[in-house]
Amino acid sequence: MISETEILQQKFAGLLAWEKLKRRGQILGTLCCYSLAAAIVILPFHAHLLPLASRAFVPLFIFLILAPVFLFRQRWRAQDSARALARMDKTLRLEERAITAWEILARGERSAAEELVVTQAADRVKALEPKGVFPRQLSWREYLVLPLLALWLMLIWLEVGVPVDGDVKLPRAQALAHQLREFSRELQEKAKREGLSDSLQVGRELEKAAQKGIEAKTDDEKFKSELAGLTKKVETMGRSAAERQSNAVAESQESLRDLKAELEAARDLLNFPDAGKGPGEARQQWLDRLAMLPQLKRQLDQGGETLSQNELQSFLDKLNRQVTGELDRRTLLEAQQFLEQLMKQGQGDKGESNARVAGRGEQDSPSDGEKAKNRSSLPGKEPGKREEGYASLPEFQAGAPAHVKGMLGEGNSSGLVFKGQPLAGKSDISQEEVIASYRRQAEAELNTERVPEALKETIRNYFLSLDPGEGKK
Amino acid sequence: MAAVTEIEERMRSARRSFDALKAEMARVIVGNEELIEQVFIALVCGGHCLLEGVPGLGKTLIVRSLGEILNLTFSRVQFTPDLMPADITGTNVLTDDPSGRRVFDFQRGPVFAHIVLADEINRATPKTQSALLEAMQEQGVTVGGKLHRLENPFMVLATQNPIEMEGTYPLPEAQVDRFFFKLLLQYPSHEELSRIADLTTAAPPAPLREVIDAGGILEMRQWVREVPLANVVKDYAVRLVLHTHPKQEGGNGATTLARKFVLYGSSPRGVQSLILAAKARALLSGRPNVSFEDLRVMLSPSLRHRLILNLEADAEGVGAEKILGEILEQVPEIP
Repeated sequence: MISETEILQQKFAGLLAWEKLKRRGQILGTLCCYSLAAAIVILPFHAHLLPLASRAFVPLFIFLILAPVFLFRQRWRAQDSARALARMDKTLRLEERAITAWEILARGERSAAEELVVTQAADRVKALEPKGVFPRQLSWREYLVLPLLALWLMLIWLEVGVPVDGDVKLPRAQALAHQLREFSRELQEKAKREGLSDSLQVGRELEKAAQKGIEAKTDDEKFKSELAGLTKKVETMGRSAAERQSNAVAESQESLRDLKAELEAARDLLNFPDAGKGPGEARQQWLDRLAMLPQLKRQLDQGGETLSQNELQSFLDKLNRQVTGELDRRTLLEAQQFLEQLMKQGQGDKGESNARVAGRGEQDSPSDGEKAKNRSSLPGKEPGKREEGYASLPEFQAGAPAHVKGMLGEGNSSGLVFKGQPLAGKSDISQEEVIASYRRQAEAELNTERVPEALKETIRNYFLSLDPGEGKK
Repeated sequence: MAAVTEIEERMRSARRSFDALKAEMARVIVGNEELIEQVFIALVCGGHCLLEGVPGLGKTLIVRSLGEILNLTFSRVQFTPDLMPADITGTNVLTDDPSGRRVFDFQRGPVFAHIVLADEINRATPKTQSALLEAMQEQGVTVGGKLHRLENPFMVLATQNPIEMEGTYPLPEAQVDRFFFKLLLQYPSHEELSRIADLTTAAPPAPLREVIDAGGILEMRQWVREVPLANVVKDYAVRLVLHTHPKQEGGNGATTLARKFVLYGSSPRGVQSLILAAKARALLSGRPNVSFEDLRVMLSPSLRHRLILNLEADAEGVGAEKILGEILEQVPEIP
């Protein structure tokens, strides 16, 4: 048989345990409510500071910050036990028998009058079920938790509070994709024109990536990661190209282009039959013609002058491969620099693209030693250095439709238009080189044009007569 | 268990006695049940009461009837400005003894009764008032250097007329503080007045029967002090008394009315009176312990005469009842 003391102790312990549980639930609910409310209130501030995945945990961070404060301030104290028992007294109309008995039990020894209090209290609470008599009642804060949570999730999903600039991220990626596509097309054009296979391949891949970014409306982060991958690939191709090259690496860009043009001309020379000439005479004449190509002449002087025609052919082929490879490598380097600049542009907020596009002239002046980029790399299009008293060369209109009155009748003639953009004081090319380049091109035209032999000499002599000293007036 | 049974019997006895007293009093007194209960509580607590009410409300009848029911001697003293202390305490009178010698014989005054009704105490001079107040405090009187003990139980019910204040000597606050309760007699209602008319203009009722005697009262006084009091209930009583002060200890602010109208709050006698009265009420209600409700009911009788109000309270007509009412509203049972 359980004594009244034990009955009371059991009931009191059960009541206090239940009240403590309710308190913990109340604290949890209050914390959740305040955490969610605070997260919603400060949404505009953290929306543009944190990525989407981290923002979803902002209520949790606030919860962890507030939890110690609330747990300390609302911790269970002795007065809370007294309050719980007083509430039980009121609810069951015990007239403070329970709380008096609780204190009497804590004292130990008791008088007859106190024993009576314990007896009467035990008699009245033995059938008490705390959970039934004192059910959990949710406060307004706890009722707000679910609606606030739903509101929070909705705000996160709709990206409310994300600043307007964030919306520009997508169009920025699109703008970068457009720039990349434009660059890739120009790169392909240049590669086709100069026979640069690696550059052509890269150009195609860049165009493919750009097109994919435009069509798929890729976001900025993903597009930048793709750019990084492409940059790495281009860098790898450029490095492998660099490993293959030898003599051509030391040449300047313009020298390489001149050399390539001269090699094209030389190939034509080698293939163009000389009617009515003997083998020895033809060979000498051919060498004389090759000697008029200064870059090629320099290369030949280094070791090709005594070669036979076949050996010369292979030498020229090898030289062509080296020059083409070096040009390819440098074009790949330009592409890599463009991609890197594009990535940096993508990280910036504003600013127009200052990416250098291959084959497109720079808007600002090139520094010393740097060749300005032109649409075409063919000779005659580089900006020239304007010296004092120097009268610029008349515009050499080659390629424009012109009629040459020949003996057989008038006919059309085609040629290439050379038009450089002169920038005063900025040209690093000497006048001799310009004249030589004009001469080479003319030579090439003469060799390909169906020009009567007599006129060929006239034209050739004209260019030969252009003395660089005459320009300095 | 025997002790518990004894305690239960004790409680039942006290309850029975009180119910019987109320029933007997109801035969001659119309209404004033609360007053009667409070007077009885003051009696079992060993305290004295200050009754305030206009003339004709039955103050003397209440006290006399109480004396008859409790089989206690009763005396009434009408205080007048020419009343002397000896008129209350008694005096030595020169008499002849049987041998013919002249000796001083102490003639007891009206204070030598169990229940003394000091009517309109504020009409007597302070010197005369102090004679009674000394008797209340010392439970005896000293005359001619000799201490004469008063009856036990001894209770004084002093009355004051609230409407005739001219030519009176209001009791000093220090003396008022010695009264256990200050009880207010209300003017009877229509029905009560009609009943009074029936009772007093018809044949007198049968004599009141004795319910409890002096020994029983003294026993109940002991039982009252044994009633258990929980610490939280005691703390509530203490906070109630502390809130009567305009500036509490520890910087806790008093209530608005207390800060504005109270000059001095209750003395420690207030909390003694409050707790004892609550214990007595619990005993007479048949409960083994003191409850918060006991304290709330006993607050006004215990403290209304212990608050010293300022002139602003007098000007605005704010009494102690209103201040105590606000204290009850604002002070929580458990902080």
